[in-house]
Amino acid sequence: MSTTADQHSQVSGAYSRPDVLEEVRPASIPRRPLIENNRSFTWITQKVCGIVESKTPTWWWVAFIICAAIASFTLMGLTYLVSTGVGVWGLRNPTFWGWAIVNFVFWIGIGHAGTLISAILCLLKQKWRTSINRAAEAMTIFAVICAGIFPLFHVGRVWFAWWLFPLPNANAIWPNFRSPLEWDVFAVSTYGTVSILFWYMGMIPDLATIRDRVPMIFEQRMANAGTAGRQAFERFYFGFRRLFYGILSMGWRGSNRHWSNYEMAYLLLAGLSTPLVLSVHTVVSFDFAVANLPGWHTTIFPPYFVAGAIFSGFGMVLTLMLPLRAIFGLQDLITQYHIDCMAKICLATGSMVGYAYMMEFFIAWYGANPYEGFAFVNRAFGPYAWAYWIMISCNVITPQFFWFKWVRENLWLVWILSCFINVGMWFERFVITVTSLANDFLPANWDYFSPTIVDIFTFFGTFGLFGVLFLLFVRFLPLLAFAEIKAVSKQADVHGHH
Amino acid sequence: MSTSSDVISPSGSAAADRGSGNKSFLFLIVGLVLIALSAIGLFTGSETDPARPFVGWILGISFWLSILIGMLFLTMIWWMFDAGWSVIIRRQLEHAVGAFPYLALIFLPLVLLSVLSGDKTGIPWIWMNSDAIVPGGHGTVAHDVLYQSKAGYLGQGFFIVRYVLYFGVWTTLALLFRRWSFNMDRTGDHSNVHRSRKLAAAGLFLCAFATTFAAIDWFKSLNYHWFSTMYGVWFFAACMRAGLSATVLTLFYMAGREDGLKGIIKPAHFYLMGCIMLAFTVFWAYISFSQYFLIYNANIPEETFWYNMRELNADGSKNSWWWVSMGLIFLHFFVPFLYLLWYRNKFAARLRFIAIWILTFHLLDLYWNIVPQKLAEDSHGHYMIRPFGISWVDVTMFLGVGAIVIWSFLKSAARERPIPIRDPRIEESINCHE
Repeated sequence: MSTTADQHSQVSGAYSRPDVLEEVRPASIPRRPLIENNRSFTWITQKVCGIVESKTPTWWWVAFIICAAIASFTLMGLTYLVSTGVGVWGLRNPTFWGWAIVNFVFWIGIGHAGTLISAILCLLKQKWRTSINRAAEAMTIFAVICAGIFPLFHVGRVWFAWWLFPLPNANAIWPNFRSPLEWDVFAVSTYGTVSILFWYMGMIPDLATIRDRVPMIFEQRMANAGTAGRQAFERFYFGFRRLFYGILSMGWRGSNRHWSNYEMAYLLLAGLSTPLVLSVHTVVSFDFAVANLPGWHTTIFPPYFVAGAIFSGFGMVLTLMLPLRAIFGLQDLITQYHIDCMAKICLATGSMVGYAYMMEFFIAWYGANPYEGFAFVNRAFGPYAWAYWIMISCNVITPQFFWFKWVRENLWLVWILSCFINVGMWFERFVITVTSLANDFLPANWDYFSPTIVDIFTFFGTFGLFGVLFLLFVRFLPLLAFAEIKAVSKQADVHGHH
Repeated sequence: MSTSSDVISPSGSAAADRGSGNKSFLFLIVGLVLIALSAIGLFTGSETDPARPFVGWILGISFWLSILIGMLFLTMIWWMFDAGWSVIIRRQLEHAVGAFPYLALIFLPLVLLSVLSGDKTGIPWIWMNSDAIVPGGHGTVAHDVLYQSKAGYLGQGFFIVRYVLYFGVWTTLALLFRRWSFNMDRTGDHSNVHRSRKLAAAGLFLCAFATTFAAIDWFKSLNYHWFSTMYGVWFFAACMRAGLSATVLTLFYMAGREDGLKGIIKPAHFYLMGCIMLAFTVFWAYISFSQYFLIYNANIPEETFWYNMRELNADGSKNSWWWVSMGLIFLHFFVPFLYLLWYRNKFAARLRFIAIWILTFHLLDLYWNIVPQKLAEDSHGHYMIRPFGISWVDVTMFLGVGAIVIWSFLKSAARERPIPIRDPRIEESINCHE
């Protein structure tokens, strides 16, 4: 660019090579490769497409049926709730926000890693994101779907949920624009929409590759199909596949113009998604922080919730990706380096959450407000102390193990720790929501909140729903963004440096 | 530990005399004179507002301290990310953070004076003066229930211990990063790099705590009734903005020096710095807005008074701080935000302009956070808000501390190479592109 060149000469004057450059002798501490064993483009394509093109493995069916069965618990819970009323969720004075809001925040938090990896790490030029972004984005969308269920049904008469939107004033009632719950409607629906767009758009080149491979795979299958019935089935099935991937890839031909538009759109979406990622959990934190309730009204909530969301999101990415990596043999694409990076992000964000816990406690004392002070002492030593200490051990202590290389390299341990993070982050929301409500300003109101069986069923089932959606994703869509992985491989770097 | 295979060059061979020794000595002299002048103000005080000169000292130091803290964070973040493009910039930060010990010395009179002086009317940390009348009708500090319940933290002995701890953390980190990076130039011993990476990880934690509690001690406790969990994060955000802008100005200076970065630094370096400046502009606004919004929305008098002081007089009329507040919203956020969104504004003179702009309004942000205080007018709790204004001590301290920081930078830059020649990522930085 000519202007840049001009500015260059403004900054550095004439191009006489400074002496100090002659002394430059970089120490040899090479960066770890993003793809191990020097895998070729062909190998990468076949590896990732193979997941979608091979026969459905038995474990997939087993997992799918189990997840579907678990998901039916949510269906049962919701059916019972709709036919009876929200009272079946164990909500009563003073705890009118119970598990529903806890589960909502839990799932929406998990839904933060995907877009963070795709958007923020893209802006930060962290190339390692390419191996994990696709699955993390899928996870984001499914988590947002699970999250949406809870506030949707919490409104009671779910068939009136559309009143949440500021539609023309047919009912002579507008939603309360001052309520952060209304902001949630906008924040979460915008986030969901943009995440789906981002995910889908990023997938187009990979979908086109799968589309282009359909005839080749079809011939292989036909050659192996013994009976005429089998052949008819393959013909029908591959006709469907051709249509399915053909429509989804939107005529992608991989031309220069396609790629240039794609890159620009990706950058724009990354720029748009970055404030969105932060705003969603900020608004979720406002759900609590704008209430004048001890333990909820504290100014650090917005960044603290965002850090917690990233923490839980990366916890879930590790929980999902480690088994998939082992099952599909993706060790060369999702390397130890990727796992190190994710573990370190968990360590960093977990420690930020720990900082916020400490700061809340300190300011509750320093603020010298007896109600605030009580709320925190009550959290740590009151009736819900068990939940508080589960939260502290899982969220603050667990990630500290990631300081050690041997822990990060012991994948069983990483997986177990990542599960602890998921548990801890659920308990964080439980502690925040329930302890402040159950012991509020009026001691005569105090109660010990216990969930009902409907609460437990509904929440348990969402894991099944999440699993079903994720398994479908694994089976039918490209699990890794292999076009992007190729772009960061050594073979793509024609200049041979970094 | 392994070392680079090639020959180890003699220490600082070409770098031995970089020839700005005289100029840097001048800065030292000017700095000392100006600080001595400010000290006169500190001891003579001001009749109308006895604590104002002391506040000027806090302002002058805080401005430069926040820059150095931001630079220290930036150094550690770059080590943590194993960033390649920024390696030649990191060396400038290493030169700059060598000033921490001097800042500790310049801060020392404030600590000594506030603890040792008999008459504490000139000390803006009103909680140190148990006989002071608390504005707003709480009697004296000693009888103030809010002080009593905070006395465990806001005690003079503990205050000194914490001062030592904060500067201890910053100075130790800064000096170790400097030493290892300069050693790397000479010996090429890889352990210098590995140590720096490890220290950066631990240092981020230590520095986060030191910075948070320093902000609580030195700024927030000026109005010790007030509390906010976000305050430490605000100071971190402010430090990062200041540190980044000062880094950009440093780069421009070094880019003009033959023995500096001339012919080495590329427009891409400035562009990328501009991008981080944009990010932290948004981050600062996010943090500042969240803190304001949550307090405004809750509308609890024990929290809102802190913002009310920055808008209203005791009688409810608008005071001078209202204008400063508006200035911060529009000129410290919207202008740099919109400006830095443009690609072309992240280069050359345009970037230098916005760096100076941000530093100017960062100083205003510090004024806004430090200067407003309720000044008791009588024993019945009547008070006035200290108005916005620039006292001569503010000016002499700002320039004096600045001269010392610049002297320290030039001294270091004269002694060591302008780029870390043996850093493992140095080639990436020299060949930096967008």
